[in-house]
Amino acid sequence: MANSALSLIDVDAFYGDSHVLEKVSLTCGEGCLLGLLGRNGAGKSTCMNVTVGLLPARRGKVTVFGEDVTKLAPEAISARGVALVPQGRRIFKSLTVRENLIVAARKPTNGGKAAWNLDTVFAMFPRLGERRSQMSAHLSGGEQQMLAIGRALMANPRVLLMDEPSEGLAPQIVAEVMATIRHLKASGLSIVLVEQNPKLVFDIADDIVILNSGQVAVTAPAADLRDGTADLRQHLGVF
Amino acid sequence: MLRYIGFEEARLLAISSFAYGGLLFLLSSGFSLIFGLMRIPNLMHGSFFMLGAYFGVSMLEKGLTTDALKAIPKIGGAFNFLPSFTILPPNFFLIAIISGLLVAGIGALVERYLLRRLNGQELPQVLLTLGLSFVIADLCLMIWTGDPWQPATPAELRGVVQFGTLFFPLYRVAIIGIAVVIAVALWLMVDWTRLGAMIRAGVDDPQIARVCGIKVSQLFTLVFALGAGLAAFGGVVGAPYLSVYPGLDADMLPLALIVVILGGTGSLLGALVGSFLIGLLYNFGQAMVPDLSYVILFLPMLLVLVLRPQGLFGRSIP
Repeated sequence: MANSALSLIDVDAFYGDSHVLEKVSLTCGEGCLLGLLGRNGAGKSTCMNVTVGLLPARRGKVTVFGEDVTKLAPEAISARGVALVPQGRRIFKSLTVRENLIVAARKPTNGGKAAWNLDTVFAMFPRLGERRSQMSAHLSGGEQQMLAIGRALMANPRVLLMDEPSEGLAPQIVAEVMATIRHLKASGLSIVLVEQNPKLVFDIADDIVILNSGQVAVTAPAADLRDGTADLRQHLGVF
Repeated sequence: MLRYIGFEEARLLAISSFAYGGLLFLLSSGFSLIFGLMRIPNLMHGSFFMLGAYFGVSMLEKGLTTDALKAIPKIGGAFNFLPSFTILPPNFFLIAIISGLLVAGIGALVERYLLRRLNGQELPQVLLTLGLSFVIADLCLMIWTGDPWQPATPAELRGVVQFGTLFFPLYRVAIIGIAVVIAVALWLMVDWTRLGAMIRAGVDDPQIARVCGIKVSQLFTLVFALGAGLAAFGGVVGAPYLSVYPGLDADMLPLALIVVILGGTGSLLGALVGSFLIGLLYNFGQAMVPDLSYVILFLPMLLVLVLRPQGLFGRSIP
């Protein structure tokens, strides 16, 4: 297996008194795509929040390319090359499209040439380029999702976390988003893709982790799950 | 009750109004940033204005020399090793800027170590800043006594300036110029720079802004310090005109509140228009209907609160 880009090791996390993650371990290899599946409330977004530093891990640790980032602040974790496309997109609504992108711009962590800047993001999402001076609140849902992805890319991350990027989008827009993810994966980016819909993930993921009630229920290479030998319905609900 | 005024008096009142409005803008632009962007009801904003003014008059009086440093009670002894020389020429605006920087430093400490602990809790923030304003008022009374201080107008800005056939006091015109320059600079910074966009992103969604690598905490300290420094700078610039006296803080704070409520929180254009509007109402009100000058001042605020709570130029607060 390739080197680990992102690992959660035996992570416990709480919201107040409620134990939302229990001994969760998962690993996304360098250049790989990890699909993180589970029902509503299974703890998928919580894993993302722990990774980026918004929710502290009570026990266990989080490593990025081998470096322990468990106790770091969100901005420090960002500086180590982790970017998030948050659930619900959460673009900065009082900023223009262009401003949303430039506030997140960072040089790559390894000091190399920046692969992502305004020009390359606009080349990837021409719609955003056309609307660069518009207030981002006026964008459609699909465009807002493009903007959230573009914003994450502007940081030139090594690990990209995507929390339900297909949520609330029309089927053809979902297809566009999935094509974008394929493209990013092909460019060598390590990606964690959180989804409720396993059909979207099985095709492009290298590995799959399924969470159930805050615990890891299944960890397997995607290829093993694709042929349908394992019965996943108990973990994922019926689609 | 209504006193009529002639053209000549109206002209002087108008220029005074705009100069007063300029001072109010220096005061309330910072208040607008702190209250409108960061949502901190900073009731010590008048104290920053007064403190800056006191720092300024002291430095103008004593000059920026090492001897003046040595003469500071208690801590002055630490500077005894220095030979006697002039650190900086006692230029009025240089001193105004130094006062602004000093008070900006105080503001940064207050934000970082006190207000930061009360993040999002408005009532405790009100009590803390109100309490600190009392502390500062008493300290100022102790250090600068109860006598008013009025520094001389800077020599190069005495006299009058002529526009067409009309003469205007030069210093008041200069205050208006300073206010407009600072208004433009602030507007460019907040609306057109990456720094300004980062501040607005931090206000929009602090959590996601941090995840995007924006150092929200440092930016907020910076904004608070900037607001405090602008008020202090305004305090020095206004000193030859308003003088400095105990209670100046309590006189200025309500004016900052009215300006920001009238203009709209978080809107710099609103703060500018509101400042000039209040400057006009205050000066003409006192001259024409002295009995009702405070009614005239507060009535527009009341109307705005009832009819357009977001203010004349404010975005509606979600």
